[in-house]
Order: sequence, then structure tokens, then C-alpha cells
Amino acid sequence: MDYTITSIAPIILLPFFAFVIGAFVVSKSQKLAVGISTAAIIGSFLFSLRVFFDFVFGKYATNYYIHKYFTWFDISSETQEFVVNMGIYFDNMSAVMMLMVTGVGSLIHVFSIFYMKEDKRVGHFFVYMSLFISAMIGLVLSDNLFSLFVFWEIMGFCSYSLIGFYVKAEGAGVASLKAFMTTRMGDVFFLLGILSIWTTIGSVTYVDIYKAIHLGEFNGITALGMPLVTFAGLAIFMGTVGKSAQFPLQVWLPDAMWGPTPCSALIHAATMVSAGVYLSLRIYPLLDAGGLTTIVAYVGAITAFGAATMALVQTDIKAVMAYSTISQLGYMVLGIGVGAWNAAFMHLIAHAIFKAALFLSCGSIIHELHDHHTHSHVQEMTRMGGLRKKMPITFMVMLFCTFAISGVPFFSGFVSKDRILGDALLRATESGTFIPVAILGFSAAFLTAFYMFRMMFLTFFGEPKDKDLYHHTHQEHLSITRNVPLIILATFTLGIFFSGSLTGQGFVKVFPKDHGYEWFQTLIEKPDGKNYLEHKKQLFAFEDVKPELELRHGHYDPNHGMDEHQAHHSHAVHGWGAIMSIIIAFSGIFLSYSVYYKKRFSPDFFVNRVPGYYKALRNKYYFDYFYIDILIQKVLFGLNNLIAFFDMGIYDRYVVDGWEKVNKVCFKIAKRFDDSVIDLGVDFTGFTVKGGSSLLKVVQSGKVQLYFIIAIVVVAGYIATLLYGGI
Amino acid sequence: MFGTILFICSAIFTICGAVMVAVSKNVIHASIYLLISLIGVAGLYLTLGADFVAVTQLVVYVGGVVILMLFAIMLTGGADLKVVSRYGFTKDPGMGSLKTYVIGGLTSLFMAIVTGKLIYNAVINTTTENQLNMENSVEQTVSKIGTLLVTKHVLAFEISSILLLGALVGAAIIARPVKLGDE
Amino acid sequence: MFEIGLFSYLVIGLILFATGILVMIARKNIIAILLGIELILNAAALNFVAYSKYSVGNLDGHVFSLFIIVVAAAEAAVGLAIVIRFFQIKETAHIDDAVLLKN
Repeated sequence: MDYTITSIAPIILLPFFAFVIGAFVVSKSQKLAVGISTAAIIGSFLFSLRVFFDFVFGKYATNYYIHKYFTWFDISSETQEFVVNMGIYFDNMSAVMMLMVTGVGSLIHVFSIFYMKEDKRVGHFFVYMSLFISAMIGLVLSDNLFSLFVFWEIMGFCSYSLIGFYVKAEGAGVASLKAFMTTRMGDVFFLLGILSIWTTIGSVTYVDIYKAIHLGEFNGITALGMPLVTFAGLAIFMGTVGKSAQFPLQVWLPDAMWGPTPCSALIHAATMVSAGVYLSLRIYPLLDAGGLTTIVAYVGAITAFGAATMALVQTDIKAVMAYSTISQLGYMVLGIGVGAWNAAFMHLIAHAIFKAALFLSCGSIIHELHDHHTHSHVQEMTRMGGLRKKMPITFMVMLFCTFAISGVPFFSGFVSKDRILGDALLRATESGTFIPVAILGFSAAFLTAFYMFRMMFLTFFGEPKDKDLYHHTHQEHLSITRNVPLIILATFTLGIFFSGSLTGQGFVKVFPKDHGYEWFQTLIEKPDGKNYLEHKKQLFAFEDVKPELELRHGHYDPNHGMDEHQAHHSHAVHGWGAIMSIIIAFSGIFLSYSVYYKKRFSPDFFVNRVPGYYKALRNKYYFDYFYIDILIQKVLFGLNNLIAFFDMGIYDRYVVDGWEKVNKVCFKIAKRFDDSVIDLGVDFTGFTVKGGSSLLKVVQSGKVQLYFIIAIVVVAGYIATLLYGGI
Repeated sequence: MFGTILFICSAIFTICGAVMVAVSKNVIHASIYLLISLIGVAGLYLTLGADFVAVTQLVVYVGGVVILMLFAIMLTGGADLKVVSRYGFTKDPGMGSLKTYVIGGLTSLFMAIVTGKLIYNAVINTTTENQLNMENSVEQTVSKIGTLLVTKHVLAFEISSILLLGALVGAAIIARPVKLGDE
Repeated sequence: MFEIGLFSYLVIGLILFATGILVMIARKNIIAILLGIELILNAAALNFVAYSKYSVGNLDGHVFSLFIIVVAAAEAAVGLAIVIRFFQIKETAHIDDAVLLKN
């Protein structure tokens, strides 16, 4: 059997069938839907584990890929070809991505069993999650932008339904609508980009796009004089901006926290938002050819820094997480922009793992903190504190993840983020344009360390601020659904899983031979058009044919393809970058420690220094105000009013009323004529019609059979005329 | 030889059944005669070498449609309902009057003459080449029809499935029991 | 003996068709009219299959008659549902009672 059918297809089909079956059984039995959904995702995880091992450890070489397709619909006419294919494109990157999606997804499913068990609509929640997971897998498997867009929109829908899951909460509905509409902004551009690629090269498959870019076939000019490749890249990048909550469309992600915490973990932290980054990674040649990398880097840097500053002042624990998600996504986009393609993807995976763990830990905390007066769960950090003794396991998990996100050595965040920052620094040494990017990136790293430890100190250390709440909190005991997913995720925040050296950057090498086994760098490569020149598409149900290009197994090239001098320079810069980021991370942690743990000086010290800036941060830089109050209410409504004024004041008054006057005059003239001449004719016509109708009335008997006879006679008469009339 | 006998029997069944549908007084009898006529048509299909169509005819029409008709007749009272006409005669509601038969006969005769001329012209113009090729070929058509249905005629196939679904839902909605106070 | 050919099938189809029209016009019971429609549809299907054998030489005619059977089944289901509904409202299945469209 074909490898795609035996191994890859079940990964997407299991959750999808779980969704279909679950959608039917959920109204009968909520628990059955939960069971089906969880079983399906775990099965899907096992399959993707197998595919992962096949691809990443052995069986297939580094630049091997599977590309199978089938015709989705074919509506070509004789003159114009219009065929839309759907297919699977699978390589090492897909394998890693797939393992991340299903792995994190199944752990979150397990955790959700704990978190959602008291909810009456728990089955619905799991059904949505199944649909979401299958759409995400479909997105990763897609071989072209069009089917990717389809799955992209399905995920948008799932996000919408899950944000508004607590249907009784008023804000949830508004937040879900906001998320949906904001991402739609990006998607419109995305669709435009797809169409522009389609019209230029007649295909939207990745492989065809890479090939066209390599061969220089992608050279149209749009109406405004912008090269088509730039336009297409920019438009598709807008999709990333919407989905991955980049500046300036980042406003929806904090509001998305209205959803249940596990779905926030799955959708708004780990997987869905990284779909945008995944898209950008896939179309990297397009961004590169369009000369967009600077813009991408700036968008990422601004997002990373801006979101980090906003996270400083949040008091809601989930809001801190939301802003840190935006900030980390900014890092990924920044990485793509500065050419740290590999590191951006590594950061995507690392972030997915530690952010899922962080969110689940938040869920674990929120679920336990139950306010007995208002019967609601507490999310405010101002009412927490001292929870370390009550929840030791959650505390340890969160500590690991906080180390990871802050960029402490030995953890995954250090390995990946440091490579991105190192590359940013390298680019900054080469050209002045990238100096602000590097500065923003390092500042955001400092802020990240600061606000994450602020969160830790406020939540777990010090005296409990709400004694009543603290005493009602139960002591945490090890439970499979609550803690095991957290512990597994926390284990994978260790840097060793991402790099051959313990700290990354080759400082402490575990595998000293060959400069360490940097499996991420050796296995996943930037897409290069020249690898696809001899590409032949394969239909489904054919045996796997290895592509005819030379397959090679990955080996680590310490010079990254550069010459000796450049490589030396690059390594030196990366080394300085690593040292800088360690210093920055620890200084952020130290500042946080002295402010929130030792209380050497109060946070009000900063607030009082820059009150205006503090206010701006509390109001999210007035983005919501700008979008809703100004853009929608003032500008759009103003435009509306202007049009209404034109309609009522000018058009109605002069054109319509003037026309009325003209009409009145005409009317008088016409009336004379009418009374004298026309009425005669009218009377005659009326008389004729009346007579005729009384004749024809006989036919309108209402009897069906009479009508039938008439029809038959008419048809037969017609045929008879044709036959005998000699026509 | 067998084919000829089958053809003659089927033709007699078909025509006699059809005529009896027109003239039998009882609606139930009429539908039984329709059944006979349809079985005759199925026999004609067999003589034409259309085995699959013949079986479908039997299954769908004889097994499905006519049974449905019988149910409907029973549900609507059918033959039991007598009405008294203006002139005091007892009319069988299933039957028309002499007048309707005369009108119907004339109309169908007119149609038959015209159509007969049409098919006469058509038969004269038809080439007989294929006729020779197909003369004594007895073969199974099922697999070929199956292939045709999912390749050349796949759109019509899908549309007919939607039609059937629509008819099913529509029929269920139209004939649903009337609730009190609904009308 | 006469020779069985295209013409004989067409004549049978013609007779079926004419009888169907007769049934539809002459009878007054709505269900009986539906019987007439079935006859007409069968006449058409028979013609398709006959032409398929004697003139065209492929199986498209068979497929068409299959679709005719499908359409007839759907039509019968909906038609009978309408009759039953009509009977529920008017308590009769007589065609001349359905004269709401008169004049």
C-alpha cells in the first residue's frame, strides 16, 4: 500500500471522523463524544509519531518529500483550463509540525477532561476541538495555498465557536465576533494573494511556486507598479498577520481569552496562531523574492516589543499569557524576516510546547481558585500569591516553562530565541536597517524575562493576598488528567530535545563529534526552487516513487554554506548574541525578583515616572479605541452620515423634488390629452378585454384535466404542423 | 424463438394491462393492471437485452411504486367511496363519465396519429448498421452501466440522488399528520 | 411471422403513451391519473432502450431509462403525498374537487 494512505491519511482522518461521529452522538451522550474525540487524537498522535520517526530518524533522506495529489474539481471548458487539485505535501518540516500538533493536542485533550468535567456542554467542546485538530492537520498536509486556505477558514470558525463557548458570558460573544472579523481582514488579503499567484503561474502549489520563483517566471507587474511577486508575498503575509496576531491586527488575541483555558492553550497559544507562522515559513521564497524580509522583520520586532510592554501591566493571568503569545509570535516572524528560517521554526515548536504547558498550568490554577461568594473562577493575579505550597506540581511545571520562555540556558526557549536574536544581530552588523530590529528584539527579551517572573512571583510567592480564597483552595495531588500532561510538556521544554548542545550555540556539547548533532538544523532546510526542478507530481494510489534528484542524509555544516571568514564572523556574532541574551535574561529576572519578591522598590515607582505611558499600556496602546471608536464608529459612521446627508439633503431636495415639479407640469398637460383622446381608446380596450375574458374564462375552469387536454392538443398540433405543413 | 415468444407475451401483457388500467372500474384493480403492464414492459426490456433496466423496473416499479399507489388508494378510501350525481346516478369516483372517455379517446388518438407519423418517419430514416451488430449479442450490461453511471453520467447521477432525497423529505413533510389547530 | 424490430417496440410505446393520455383524461380519481403518468413515463423509457439497441449502439439509453425510473419514483412519492394531503383536507380524491384555480 501507499505510504500516504497507510500512514499519513489516518492522522487527519481519525480526528475528522471523530468530529463527524461526535457531532451526531453529542446530543445523546456528552461523555461518549469526549471519549471518541480523545481516543481519535491519541490514535492520530501514534500515527504521526510513526511518520515522524520514519522521516526524521532514518528511512527517508533530508531532502525527501512526498507530493501526491488528486483532482478536487475540474470545470475546464474547451478554451480554458480550470482544474483545482488537492494533495499532500509532506517533508521533514511537516513531520515535526504534525507531531507537535497531535502531541500537544492530545495532551490538551487529556487535560480538558479534567478542566471541563463540570461543564454541561463538555461534549460540544471536544467535538469542536476534533474539528479544529483535523483542520490544523489538513493545513499542515496541504500541498497548495488553496486547500490551505480552506482549512485555515475552518480553523477560524473553530476559533470563533470556542471563544464564544461560554454562551452565557456576555463578553464571549463580542470577543468571538471580534476575533472572527479581525482575522477576516487578513484573510481577504490572503485570498487576494492566492488569486494573484493563480493568475500568474496557473497553480498555487508550493512546489510550482518555488519552481516559478527559481526560474524567474514570476515577473508580472500589478496595476500600481508594484511587482506581482511583492504584492502576492505581502498579501499572503497579511494572512499571517491576521492569524498570528501580528501588529497591527493583534487586537483579537487578548480577547480570545474568553474561551475555556484548554482551548486557549490549543488554539490561541500553541497551534492555530502558529499556522500563520507556518504559512510564512512555507512561502519564504516568495517573501524573499519579493524583497519583503525587512518589512517582515519590522512587523515581528514591533509586535514582539509592543506586546511585551503590554504584558507588563496586565493583572489577569491569562492576559499575561495572551500578550506573551503575541510577543513570541512576533519573535518567530522576526526570525523569518532576518533569515533565521530554521530558528523561527524551532521557536514555533518550542513555543508551542512551553506555551501550551503555561496555559494548562493557568488552567490548573484558575480551576482551583473558586470564589465562593460570586461562584466564579478567579483569574486576577492580585488575588493570588503563595500558591507554591498548595500546588507544587503546577508550580514546578510553570517554573520550567518560565525559564524556557525567558531564555535561560538549558531550556528550549534559549536555544531557539537565541538563534533568532543572533541572526538579527548578524544582520544588524551587516546593514543599518536592521539595527532597530535587533534592539527591539533584545529589549523584548529583557521584558519577557521581567514580566514572566513578575507573573511567577505574584502568583506563587509571597503572602496570599486573598486569605479566604487561599484557604478554600485544595491541596494539589498528582492526578493523571491534571498533572501528567503538564509534566510531559514541561519535560520537553528542556533544550536537549532541540539542540545537540545543552545550551544551544555549541557551548556545552553533548555530542562533541561533528560539532554536535544539530538535528533541527540538519533536517529542516529552507525551501529552494532548484530542488524542485525535476519534480513530478504523483497521483494518489500509485506506489511511492522517490524523486529522481539526489537524496542525501543530513549532516551538520558548521559553516552553514558560507566561506571561512563569513562563518567566523557569524559565529563570533552569535556567540556575543548568546552572551548578551543570557545577561539580559538574568537581569530581567533579577529586576523582577527585586521588585516583586524582595520588594526593594514598588512597581508604582515606574508607573509614577511615566504615567501617560502606563495609561497607554493599560489601554493596549489605544488600538481597540482606534479601531472601534474611531475607525468603525467615527470614520465608517461618518462616511455613512456623509452619504446619508448627500442622499437626503442634496439628492432628495434638488433632484427628487425638482423632478416632482417637472412632473406636475407634465401631468397637467397630459391630463387634458388623457381625458379627451385616450379615454375613448381605453374604454374600447376595456370593453374588448371584458368580452374576451368572458370567453377565455371558460377555459380557466380550474380543472387539471382540461388544461392537460389543451396542452396535449397544442403539442400534437404543433408536431402536426411540422410534419404536414412542409416547413 | 424464445425471444419472439417472450416479446409477444410481453407485448400482450403491456398493452392489455394498459387498456385495462383505462377501463377498469375499481382503482385497486386498475393499479393491479398497471402492475401487469409494467411487468410486461420489463419483459420487453429483457428482449432488448437490457437486463439491468428490466430488473430495476421490476424492483422499483413493481415492488415500490405500485405498492405505494396501493397504499395511497387505501389511505384515500379508494373504491369504497360512491358519489351520487346530480341526476341521481351512483357514480364510481374512480371512473370518469362517457363524456370524459370520448374526449380522452379523441385527444389520445390525435396524439397517437401525429406521433405515429413521427416515429414512422424516424424508423425509415434510421440506419440499420448497428442493428446488425447488435442482433444476437447477449451480454451483461450491469458493469457497463455501472461504469457509465460513475463516469459519463456522474453529474446526472449525483443530481438524481439529490432529487430522491428532496422527494423523500418533501413527501414526508407534505403528508405529515395534521396537528389540531394547525389548519 | 413478422420480424421484431425497432418499429414494433415503438408501436408498443406509442400504444402505452396513448393509453396513458387516455387514462389521464378519462379517469377522475387523482391516483388513477398518477397511474396514467406512470404509463407515459414507461413508454418514454421503452423508447430509449429500444433506440439504444437498434440505432445508437451504446448503453446511454439504458442509463436514461434508469434515470426515468428514478424520476418516476420520486414523482410518485411526492404526488401520492400530495394526494394524501389533499384527502386530509377535502376528504375526497376526486380531481374535479381541486378547482381552487377556477377563473
